[in-house]
Amino acid sequence: MGYVAVEAGEDVIQRAEELFEKQRVVGESDQISVEQVGEQFSRLTAQAMSEGGLYAPRLAAIAVKQAQGDTAEAAFLLRAYRSTLERWGTSVPVETAEVFTTRRVSPAYKDVPGGQVLGATKDYTQRLLDFELIDDDGTDPTGDWDVEAEDPPRLRNVMEVLREDGLVYDPERDPDRDDDASSGAGTEPFDATREPITFPAPRSAVLQELARGETGAVTALGYSELRGYGQVHPTLGEVRTGDLPVTIEHPYTGDEVEVTTAAVTETECVVPIYEKSDDPQFSFGYGLVFGRNERKTIGMSILDAAIQLDGEGAAQDAEFVLDVVDGIDSFGFIEHLKLPHYVTFQSILDRIRSIRERSAAAADETDPAPQEVGADD
Amino acid sequence: MTDKCGVAAVAEAESVDDLLDSVTDDGLAGYNYAYLDEHTKREVRRATLSAIALPGHQVPFASREMPLARGWGTGGIQTSLSLLGPDDTFKVIDQGSDESVNAANIRRLAARTANVETTTDATEASVIQTRHRIPEEVLDDDQILVLQVPITDPLRRVDGSDDANRRRHAHSNYSKMWVALYENVVEYGEIKLSSRYPVLVGDRYLMDPSPIPRWDVPKLDDADNLFLFAAGREARIYAVPPHTEVEPLAFEDRQFQVERFPEHACGNCGSEDTFLTEVETDDGGRVYACNDASFCEKRRADPSLSKAHHRNGDGHTWGPPTDPSVPYESDGDSGENRGPAGPNRGGDE
Repeated sequence: MGYVAVEAGEDVIQRAEELFEKQRVVGESDQISVEQVGEQFSRLTAQAMSEGGLYAPRLAAIAVKQAQGDTAEAAFLLRAYRSTLERWGTSVPVETAEVFTTRRVSPAYKDVPGGQVLGATKDYTQRLLDFELIDDDGTDPTGDWDVEAEDPPRLRNVMEVLREDGLVYDPERDPDRDDDASSGAGTEPFDATREPITFPAPRSAVLQELARGETGAVTALGYSELRGYGQVHPTLGEVRTGDLPVTIEHPYTGDEVEVTTAAVTETECVVPIYEKSDDPQFSFGYGLVFGRNERKTIGMSILDAAIQLDGEGAAQDAEFVLDVVDGIDSFGFIEHLKLPHYVTFQSILDRIRSIRERSAAAADETDPAPQEVGADD
Repeated sequence: MTDKCGVAAVAEAESVDDLLDSVTDDGLAGYNYAYLDEHTKREVRRATLSAIALPGHQVPFASREMPLARGWGTGGIQTSLSLLGPDDTFKVIDQGSDESVNAANIRRLAARTANVETTTDATEASVIQTRHRIPEEVLDDDQILVLQVPITDPLRRVDGSDDANRRRHAHSNYSKMWVALYENVVEYGEIKLSSRYPVLVGDRYLMDPSPIPRWDVPKLDDADNLFLFAAGREARIYAVPPHTEVEPLAFEDRQFQVERFPEHACGNCGSEDTFLTEVETDDGGRVYACNDASFCEKRRADPSLSKAHHRNGDGHTWGPPTDPSVPYESDGDSGENRGPAGPNRGGDE
């Protein structure tokens, strides 16, 4: 009896998938290639990789295409794939000063060692819709630039200047902090994809979850601090983008070898809220995400600083932030409301009817002729 | 519920490649048997064993991302897949129905990756994954019911912080929940909780039984089968082992109440002892029908079928009657609360 129904259910799913797929191909234009997605929508693939927690530009391009541009869905596809992969090893920790920097701005200082590197940005562009893109011929506007091609520089981190002066509180080296035992320098960082997080969570777990957080959620929660629901209004030491070398130990020789690079965006910020009154130091916030996503990494640095303060603001509560910041969790649970709820709703109907009957009966007892009272009003 | 573990093959293999070639895997090509890698399955089983050892206690586990959206049964499917072996028979229910598309999707994943038999018959299944219902047919001691859990902690109703709530569980400090129930009584005259009714397990841990209706809550008490509760998004597993005392919170003068229905019998099969849901019809009418679609089908064929029909004359049955004039109370005093007397009740018409 039920066998037919099972087949029907699966047939319906299949057809729904086919209708969704049709939406992508039904138009008259040529199919967009995975290479085109990767090269021309790099912000989308970067967001999918960052929220998916998997650096794989080509897979991200497939995911974005498959999700028809929905970044949450694309990140979800990457995560589901990632969780089936075997782990072959762990990369060697690397200083981000090693990044081949393509852009680095320091709002804290007018000039910094290595200089301000504006790089590629739309920050100062007038936001006018460009109708010439309708007939885009793909001309490289920098094609006739007369500059020597040179390797991107490796720049000293601006925050080092402040650290040398002892102005920056270093959460990793404070022996008094509870979470230091599990996240202190030199120990393995927490991995939230392999261990469940409980609170108080070590800072490495906080940073990992923020780095995988949904871009909009990280931006909104970070903004809540600036907007007045908290005190963190940071000064950015620097925002930089570039390619971070990925180094592993050679399995036979044991030597460290650079195997690839990963495009990243990094932000470090200081907050003029002093950790100790007898030895005033800046609080410090850190953000690093895959790909080019400056608003997420700035938001992340605000949230890192806010969570360390552990104050009253909504974004200063690690449990609150980590519970809501993950896009895969929030998108799944928000959308689960589309599932059938008729059992639970029947249960709710039973309660509201019962309570209404009880209050109606009580009203009848205290007032035997409620209709007349109503008429008088 | 065992993996194919080729110990002999390991001993005979001459190289790693040989060994890999010799792996005969049921299920989907390119993926491990039952989708999850063996480390993950082991971890889920360990968490499950801990949960069974501490009835009602929420055990954290490193929930993996699944190819289903979080909040759509990912904890349940991880638990099911870590238990299933090729000899198992798997049933999936979503709000009482095997035909719901989400149930079909989960069943399809298990069938594709674990190569298990699937069924819609609750008495045939060795593992049943369910969203928000316990089947009407009484489960046996060789069956496992895996319940999908959206919200793991009953105390979440009174405090959003799991950190604070874990401390309350450690101290068995459930005063805030009792006060909330008391405030319900003051405000509405009765407890207004509908599904997700908080229960005390083994007189120790307060537990969220998942959003099953209150109708199903008494079935948890002193059952023959194992209940596993799994939440993928919240990364927790908990359990009610067989023959564990499970008591819904209530007051002496405000008893725990199951759902009542304005009509007492299913419009399709006439059952008077099953959970009904109301359906609005195209012509503006309203009919009540069994929510457990698979059992309703059986009752239509044989209206006198008992909920324990498959248990060889065993009168052990569960679930309350639909008629509110038939007395049914559950105050945790098990044994006398097996529903109304008589093995054939509910199918007389």
